Amino acid sequence: MTNDNGKRKLALGLSAVLMSSMVLSACSSKDSSEASGNGAAPAGSLKIEIFDRGNAPAGVTASDNFLTNYVKENFGKANNINVEFVPIPRSEEVTKLNVLMASGTDVPDIVFTYDSGTFNKYAEQGGLTDLTPLLQEHGQNLTKFLGEDTLRYGQYDGVQYSIPAKRSTIGKYASFIRQDWLDKLGLPVPATSEELYNTLTAFKTKDPGETGGKVIPLGMTIAAAQYDSLVWSFIKPVSEQERFELTQNLSSRDYPILLPGFKDAIQYMNKLYNEGLISKDFALDENKETLTQNIGNGLVGAFSDDNDAIFYPDGTYDVLTKNNPKAVLSAIDPFTNSEGKTAKPVSAPNGMYIMIPKSSKHAVEAIKYLDWMSTEGHLQYIQNGIEGEHYTLEDGVPVSIPDLSVESSNKLSGGGDIGIIANGRIFESQEKNNEAFVKSFRTQYQDIIAKSLTISTTNPIEPVFTSRPIEAESKYGTTLSDKIKQLMVKATMVPPGEFEVTYESMLKDYMSSGGQAILDERKAAYSEQK
Amino acid sequence: MGYTRYFRRNWQMYALLVLPMLFFIIFKYGPMYGVQIAFKDFNFFKGIGGSEWIGLDGFREVFANQDFYITLRNTLMLNFLDLIVSFPAPLIIAIMLFELKVVWFKKLSQTILYIPHFISWVIIGGIVYQLFGQQSGMINNLLTSLGLDAIPFLSDKNYWLITYLLTGVWQSAGWGTILYLAALAGINKELFEAAEVDGAGRIKRILHITIPGIKPTIVTLLIINLGNMISIGFERPFVIGNLAVMEYSDVLSTFVYRIGLESGQYTLATVVGLFQAVVGLLFLLAANYISKKLTDESIL
Repeated sequence: MTNDNGKRKLALGLSAVLMSSMVLSACSSKDSSEASGNGAAPAGSLKIEIFDRGNAPAGVTASDNFLTNYVKENFGKANNINVEFVPIPRSEEVTKLNVLMASGTDVPDIVFTYDSGTFNKYAEQGGLTDLTPLLQEHGQNLTKFLGEDTLRYGQYDGVQYSIPAKRSTIGKYASFIRQDWLDKLGLPVPATSEELYNTLTAFKTKDPGETGGKVIPLGMTIAAAQYDSLVWSFIKPVSEQERFELTQNLSSRDYPILLPGFKDAIQYMNKLYNEGLISKDFALDENKETLTQNIGNGLVGAFSDDNDAIFYPDGTYDVLTKNNPKAVLSAIDPFTNSEGKTAKPVSAPNGMYIMIPKSSKHAVEAIKYLDWMSTEGHLQYIQNGIEGEHYTLEDGVPVSIPDLSVESSNKLSGGGDIGIIANGRIFESQEKNNEAFVKSFRTQYQDIIAKSLTISTTNPIEPVFTSRPIEAESKYGTTLSDKIKQLMVKATMVPPGEFEVTYESMLKDYMSSGGQAILDERKAAYSEQK
Repeated sequence: MGYTRYFRRNWQMYALLVLPMLFFIIFKYGPMYGVQIAFKDFNFFKGIGGSEWIGLDGFREVFANQDFYITLRNTLMLNFLDLIVSFPAPLIIAIMLFELKVVWFKKLSQTILYIPHFISWVIIGGIVYQLFGQQSGMINNLLTSLGLDAIPFLSDKNYWLITYLLTGVWQSAGWGTILYLAALAGINKELFEAAEVDGAGRIKRILHITIPGIKPTIVTLLIINLGNMISIGFERPFVIGNLAVMEYSDVLSTFVYRIGLESGQYTLATVVGLFQAVVGLLFLLAANYISKKLTDESIL
């Protein structure tokens, strides 16, 4: 008797182990069958991805707030569709999305990403719904709102696999300089590359900010916002064919590495570095932390950045003026190219890629939702809130009411992340878009932002459009974007005498790691297009 | 008969084993199902089972990739240097602590030495960059205000190696002493007393009693460390590394992260992982074999 008892217990334990492992392995293989079972759910339910930036005010969450309720009421109830928002942490957007997509069951009906590589990968592997028929049937308003020019960015190999958001302004970069330093030294605002160089040298030798030798004449990092304006000013004018073939698009960004002039740009960086005119630690500063600190501490004379980056509340400019009440920045546009123009890259006219996974049973509702958003001021409501409570209209442009009560400002929480079909506020004309952009900032900064916005769209270099994806780019993109930064860092930091050798050997490494494959494929793609 | 008695008396022990067993089955053996990705053209939406077999194509692609060899070299180099620098550190500290007679001081030092182990690498990375940056790092600020030249601790590859290694010692040495201290506690106290009576000094006692007493522990840890030569943690090289020193800081784990998670080439990433596992096993067996021959200590 007792013997059996002991054995039984052992058997029990063992079977528990076996059971659980069986359950586990079953989990991994049955996902497809379960997905089809879900289709029987009552008609009209829709799961929508939403970025969770972890900054929702107390009492509300990214997926449950005034505006998500607005959507549930006005779209959901009206169409008898049960709307649910699925929060995804902003910082792990792509990895989390990969996991959801691979699972096939838990994935929301509307997902999105800013990363064109991720979009291309999903499309290539056959995981997305073809949206053309759906747009024709349920999305006329949306099609009109976005326009063909934006929509074509959402195609993969000619098929509309995603809906790209519309961008209200395509300008990216402007440069800024310490006006109080210029005034102190009696220098003019630099308008050409040469003048800028002289100004930087003066900042270095005369130290107008009294930094005790810590002055950084030109703030630099290894992020595009800081180096792109400078680098592109060295790129020589090329034919449309050369532009297409020699550009390398890595991780959704055009790199001019093979375009004529790139080497000169890096050699110039090398010169600036060795003369102590740019940040010594630029190679360590991929996320701009050190630069932001240094600007805030009044050590930096000039720098390039995104046109809006420094103007947000408690942002870089606020910190600078708090630490140095006399500090004044001016927006400048000094990087002139061989033609004397301040050419600089701008964004493509699209924002994020909105996709409907193939496994979704609610593609129709999803399109209806996006279409709904583009009509009757719903997007405006989501972005701006309630007229009179959150904004007043000036010439048809909403102007934020300052000093909102906590309750009122909570109502606006998450608006930018719900209004996925647009990046920024969209109006009937570009001028109005710009005006609304400027007026969304605090009054004291509106003048300099208006200037910075103009600079960022002066002599724009638009991204090269490829009607079919370059496969080598999605394959080698991440590796190569690291390699190109490595090249810039290494070639900039060596003594001038070693520049040539370093540059050439790193370029060789770049080409053999996939750069050549991209070049070959682009050449083939160009002749195909003809 | 004997068995059942034995089980009846000891079943609790077996019951306790169930949880660890479950852990290994779920988290160590279960995922091995995914190893087949290395031999498949993995498609996200078809899943592991539905993807097509491609034989050894993935391996060919990895072995043709020059970055693979660079990261492999760096992995071995960093681990080897780490072994030289970081392996003796906890041993020395443990012996020093063991020799201390003032209990409160011993406890205090021990605690202070452990603490870095509980700080995540991301935070350590932040501290390292604040301390060792060339232009705004505290140490270089001090050096330059003394009229000395700034030292590129993080952007020159050789200085970076030193920074990397010493940060590792700082983070892990205190924690590593725990095993040694436990082993040291097991040495028969009478041996020390006898040695003292016979006139052996402190150094003699350490050399002839302390170290031989914990030799099995040292050898075991050494074997485990050698087995891990081919695998390297992700956080430390990723967080402390930067673009200027990628020549040295790019290792297999960061390589896998880049081609796997960032570029979505899961097949290649799995190939590298499988390669690491197989080579790691060979290292472990070899180290074990050599140790058995030389010292008669082994873990298998």
